[in-house]
Amino acid sequence: MNTILQINKWLETTALSHAMSGRVPWGWPLCETLHFIGLAMLIGCIGVIDLRMLGFARHASIHSLHKFVPWGVAGFILNLITGALFYIGAPSQYVNNFAFLMKLIFIGIAGVNILYFYLGGVMKRVDALGPEDAIPMDAKLVSLVSIVSWFMVMYWGRMLPFVGNAF
Amino acid sequence: MYEFYSWVESLSFSTWLRESGSLWSYPIVLTLHTMGLGMLVGFNAAVNLRLLGIAPEVPIASMQRFFSVMWWGFWINASSGILLLMADATTKMTSWVFGVKMLFVVLGVVILRKIQNVVFHPENPELLKSGRLLAILSLCCWVLATTAGRLMAYLGPQVGVAGPQVR
Repeated sequence: MNTILQINKWLETTALSHAMSGRVPWGWPLCETLHFIGLAMLIGCIGVIDLRMLGFARHASIHSLHKFVPWGVAGFILNLITGALFYIGAPSQYVNNFAFLMKLIFIGIAGVNILYFYLGGVMKRVDALGPEDAIPMDAKLVSLVSIVSWFMVMYWGRMLPFVGNAF
Repeated sequence: MYEFYSWVESLSFSTWLRESGSLWSYPIVLTLHTMGLGMLVGFNAAVNLRLLGIAPEVPIASMQRFFSVMWWGFWINASSGILLLMADATTKMTSWVFGVKMLFVVLGVVILRKIQNVVFHPENPELLKSGRLLAILSLCCWVLATTAGRLMAYLGPQVGVAGPQVR
């Protein structure tokens, strides 16, 4: 914890931090806006595949829907960058914030879930399925975990100003 | 008109939403508004990307099923939005940023219905040709609506006690 506090103290001295926390007045609003656009890209473009594996849009093969993944990843990267900028701008608002911890935990769960999907062989099996084939149980579970964890990320993200020591 | 907004804002329910400090009042409504955004704007973005040529192997008609997600998102946001409006009626109804947001929401919904028509009748080449233009207009509308919504916390009349940066 001490190391984190030291890093935060250093972060607060950086020009980037000063820019985010007021010197560039449009910096924070711009990042908030991009953070919400990234959110929509992630929820929508990953969501179509999650819902497909839960039985939606059966006429599309899962393989064909995979082209949406890069757009969801782009949304995630956009949010990773803007999220990092928020943290750099005001580290003290996040460090002892329970909501922030929970948000990170659910991002972690979503990440492990994706790794399991790709490396655990689930993706390989659903990729070979035709439009009307039955979906294996583990794929359905991966989808459910994905949807729930990303919605929990939104929940805890939105709770940042209301829970814990936040602004 | 201002008296009416003032009256709405002074209702005990509006006051509870705004001032109770309970996580089940303003914070949860705001969270639902974010989740609804993800469902409406996110899945809409996926359909628009498909109409613009991303994931060409996905049959356009198969995406019909995702419109129910978008309409759920819309109604979640219409209801949560009305509650948020009640809590701060005098500020929001006099905010030009809110006006801009509503303009793009209305345009976005009109275009969404037109896109729904395209996706439900993909065999009609005339409709399909209009799909690209509609997709671009739709993406613009929702990006602008999201942007204006986010900027309500920074531009125009302000409510609440939270700091100027993060809301």
